[in-house]
This record gives sequence, structure tokens and C-alpha cells, in this order.
Amino acid sequence: MVFPPVAVIAVFIGFPVVAAIAYTLGRAGGPNSVVASLGQRQFIVHHGVTVGAYRDILGNATIHRDLWATVWVTIVTTIVVVAVSWSIALYLRLADSRLARIVSALSVIPLFIPVVIASYAILIFYSSDGFLKTVAYHLGFHGFPTLGYTLTCVTLGEIWVNIPFGVLMMSSGLNGVPNNLIEAARDSGASMPRVVRSILLPMNVIPTVIVATFTGIYVLGSFTVPYLTGPTAPNLLGPAMSNFFSAFNQPQQAEVLAIVVFVLALGIGAAYVWANVRTGKRAGATT
Amino acid sequence: MKRKNLGAMLVIALVVVMATVAATMSSPSNAATKHAAKTVTINLYASGDVNVQSLWQQYLIPGFEKANKGIKVNFIFSEHGANDTTTLARIGAAVKQRKWSGIDVVDAGLVTTLAIDGLTQPVVKATAPNIANVDKKLLTPVHGAAIPYRGSSVVLAYDSNNVASPPRTLSALLTWIKAHPGKFTYNSPNTGGSGYSFAETVVDQFIPQNVLTQMDNGYVPNLESNWKQGLDELHSLNQYVYQGVYPNGNQAVLDLLAKGQIWVAPVWSDQSLTALKNGQLPASVHLLQISNPSFTGGAAYLGVPKTARNKASVYKFVNYVLSPPAQTQIINIMSGFPAIPLKLMPKAIQNKFADVSANSLRPTYSQKQSSDFKAQWQQTVP
Repeated sequence: MVFPPVAVIAVFIGFPVVAAIAYTLGRAGGPNSVVASLGQRQFIVHHGVTVGAYRDILGNATIHRDLWATVWVTIVTTIVVVAVSWSIALYLRLADSRLARIVSALSVIPLFIPVVIASYAILIFYSSDGFLKTVAYHLGFHGFPTLGYTLTCVTLGEIWVNIPFGVLMMSSGLNGVPNNLIEAARDSGASMPRVVRSILLPMNVIPTVIVATFTGIYVLGSFTVPYLTGPTAPNLLGPAMSNFFSAFNQPQQAEVLAIVVFVLALGIGAAYVWANVRTGKRAGATT
Repeated sequence: MKRKNLGAMLVIALVVVMATVAATMSSPSNAATKHAAKTVTINLYASGDVNVQSLWQQYLIPGFEKANKGIKVNFIFSEHGANDTTTLARIGAAVKQRKWSGIDVVDAGLVTTLAIDGLTQPVVKATAPNIANVDKKLLTPVHGAAIPYRGSSVVLAYDSNNVASPPRTLSALLTWIKAHPGKFTYNSPNTGGSGYSFAETVVDQFIPQNVLTQMDNGYVPNLESNWKQGLDELHSLNQYVYQGVYPNGNQAVLDLLAKGQIWVAPVWSDQSLTALKNGQLPASVHLLQISNPSFTGGAAYLGVPKTARNKASVYKFVNYVLSPPAQTQIINIMSGFPAIPLKLMPKAIQNKFADVSANSLRPTYSQKQSSDFKAQWQQTVP
């Protein structure tokens, strides 16, 4: 009796997705008739399908630049978030001092600050009259770059927003490693780096994969941070989608972009599924 | 058996949730019918920057409700028009099915689209006597189906501390921008009307008048090749614009101007005059209109969807907005232009607008044409 949840998913997620995909392929009837009656520059067919909207978007040089910007920002953000949250979590796990607790508490603070406020703060902090540049100027470094309204600023913002989840996930993963495993290794003469490499790292693969995949998917579809702190062009696909949907009144193209982001996220999602399957197998092997 | 119970519980839970949602959604109308004899509620949808919000929320609506006991105005605001497209779809779908859309009167850019698509009530059917005072020329671009209620225009703002002799024509402005790198910017056209107006004005200088008229009054995609020269000119300004960035929204440009980061920018007359009055812009910022061509401007329209409820009360509201006291408020609060002839306004207002009036403002492209223009700008300029 799994029907009710399945029905909820089918009605609220499945049906709109199918309708949206049909619209991107040129079918404007039924649930798409209202949006199609108002949109501009649509590719509509009454029989079969057309890939006109896809050709329009994928042949657009601006979108190419936005796509590459999105891919790069996603990759850099993911790598930095994984590295930073690993180090903070490891520090907390191994050195259970007051300083370690303060560091980990600070790293979770961004979770409690609304992204809009954070984005404005980040923009002002890195802008041409911002704190960073002012300090650099007083230290005699007059050529310090202005980071506000650049993709670097977007990346910094995305990292800032994603660090808390990474730290929480990694530290709970590392805390799950039993102390006696570490102590046994230490008793057999293993150095601390060796303990990290041979015990903590392999036992914390799943949280690492989860942090990497969720950060990647979040950045791919993000809107607020790139909209407020990023350059006019190229920017991430989130603001581009919003532009196509409202400012350009081209809902079909906006939905094509959404599918492009979906396909990118699907690739990342595959890694997550693989990791889950791997845990499932391991759990099956040990019990 | 246990699983079956779980399923049944989920069904019950779902039904309860849906019933609650339905109840909360329908409760306002229940309340409305209960008090129908006493109170009528009008739903007003407006979009724009915060100045539009405060005009309705703090002045026009309280003023109307005070004068008309028994009519309540429910205010729905969409900042920067973020919900305009969905609202357009919502009203469009409802009117086509001859159903109430939940909105009785609209103040937003989408009104012109609604009017041209025949979804709003024609002005000739309106029961508001003050509509007779409105300039008939302003009804042409909206096929006589929307009511102009105020005018506003984009003007050039400059910081007089740093700019002694500001440019007064478009070509002088373009020369000034190139001579002062990093001291000018405009917001990206898809995020606000002031930057949009600058971009359209630069493009319009290369376009013959008969082509412009077609673009202002309709949607003619095959004339868009005329934009090429102007868009190239705008692209060449990239290296002179502040950080090569076009900020998002009208307000972002005013912020840069207030901080002294830029010295010259196109701004909305009403929004910047309000900011000057409140001290959000320093007094050293002055405004002027350029010529050859001037920046675009025009009327803001009210639209009444064909399926609006309580039309008599809605037009009472429209009539109030077009009355001299409300128009005076619009001018004082928003620094907008009146929609009714100056001779009906108080003497002080007449003097203020001696040389400019809402109907001599240069019109802007039709809604669909401007959507295409924003898309082409995004693709070719930054």
C-alpha cells in the first residue's frame, strides 16, 4: 500500500515535469495552453515534436558562456567546500579543545543567516569601497582587485553558504568512527597522518560524497547569490533562467534551461546513487 | 495488515491537509459573503519599486477607504514585478474561462499587455466620471482598455560636486561617458525601467520615426534588425561603464550614485525625487532631461480585468485615484506627473509642471517588443 505517497509525487512533481518537457518539445496543448498563449518566440508543433527551442538555447553564444561559468563555479565551490569542511571536521574530531569548538560553531553560523542578507553583505564586503579593499589600501596594497560583481565573488558567496552543511555532515561522519579503532591503530604504532589516511578517510567516504553532490546540485540551481553578487554576463544559469522567464517573456526557453540544469544535476546525482549502493552493499556484507 | 493501516492513515492525513488548505484558501471569501451587505473588498495588484508600494499602501488606499466606508481595498504587491508574468498568466487564464481571477484592478506594466489582448474592460464602459479628464492620446497605445493614472519619466541624474557642466543631449552624454571612464552606469534593462530607457534611447537615435511608431504600438519582430547599430554602440560603452557592470534594479544605481561611486546615471524622475526628499540621495545630485532624443517615459496604467467583481466599487476607486486631491498626493509623494489636465490641479502644482507634462513624454516600446529588446541587449551588450 504505497499508493498515496506515490500519488502525491505523481500529481505534484511527475505531472508538471511531464507537461514542462512536452512544452519544451513544442507541445502547447492542455496544461501548457495558458503559458503558450502569452509567451514569445516559441517553437510550437501540433503533431510530433520539435527541438527548435533546444536548438535556440544551445546555439546561443551567451548561454554557452553562462553554462561554462556555471560548471566552473560549481566545480571550484564543491572542491573548496569539501576540503574546508573536511579540515574543520577533522580538527574538531582530533583536537577536542575549546578553540576547536569555537571554530566549528563559527563555521555553522552561515546556516542561520538568510541568503539574501548574506549576499548583500558579501557584495558590500568585496566591493570597490568595501572592507577588504580598504584594509588592503591602508596596508599600501593599492592595486588590490575589486571582487564585487565578479564570478570570484559568486564563488566566495556559494562557498560561504555551503560550508555549514559540509561541516555538520563531515563531523557527524567522523564522530561515527569508534574511538577504539583510532586507539588500536595508535597502540600499534600508527602515526596521526596514517590514522587519518587508513581509518578516518575510508570510513568517511559516504558523507564526503553526500557533501560533494549536494553542494554541486545546490550551486547549479542557485539564484540569489549569483543574482546579487555576480556580473551582468556571464553569470550562472539560475539568473539566466529567471531572465528568460520574466524579463524576456520566453517561458519555453526558460524551461529548456531548467532541463539543461536538470541533466547536469542528474550526472551529479548518479554519483550519489552510486555511493548509496556502495554503502548498501557494504552493510549487507558486514551483517 | 499493518501496512494497510499505514496506507489508510496516509490517505486520511492527505485528505485532512487538503481540507485545511481548502478551508484556509476559501475562508476570506466566506468572510466576505457574510459581510457582503456591509463591506465590499477590492483586490488591487501592483508592481514596481518601493515608492509604488508606499504610494498605494500609505496614501491612496487609506484616503479612499476613509472617504468610502464599506469598501475595503486588499493590496497585493510584487516588488520589481517579480510576479508579473505569473499574474499575467493567471488573469489571462481566468478571463478566457470567464472566471474571476482574484484580482479586480491592476497597476503594473502587464496592464498594457492585458489591454492589447482584450482582457481588460474598455474605458468607454467605465463608470468613473473623472476618466473624461484623461488625455485621449494616452488611450491609443492600450486600445482604449486601460486608464492612465500618473506619468513618470526617466531623467539624467548627476553629482554637481564633480560634474560642473552636465551633458544635455544624448550625443553629449555618450561623449561624456567615454571621457570619464568608470563614472557612469545604468541598471541592466531586464531589471528596471531606468536602465532600460537609456538602452532604448541610445538605440532609438538610429531608428526612423515610422519604424519607432510601429514598435511603440505593436509587436513587429521583423523590424528588430534596426537595433543592430544602437546595440553595437552600447557594447562599445562596456569599457567605460563602472566596473563593466550593469547592476540589478533601479535602486542599485541610485545606491552607487549616493555613495559617489558614479557621477552620472539615468534614473526614474519620481524615484529619485523621492530619494532626494528623504535624504537617500545627497542634495548635490541634480536632475535634468536630455534631448535629441529624450529619455522615454509615459503613463502608468490601471487595468480592470473583464471578469473583475464589484465593478461599481472598483470604478469608484479609480475615480478617487483620478480626483485632483489624489493626483496632488501622487505628485507630492511620488514626484510623478498628473494624469489629468493641469488646469484642474492646485496653483502650486501648475507652476511646478510649467514646462513638462505627462503626455509630451516620449513613448516606449510595446511590452512584447521590449521583452525582445531586453533579450537582445543581454545577448549582445555585456
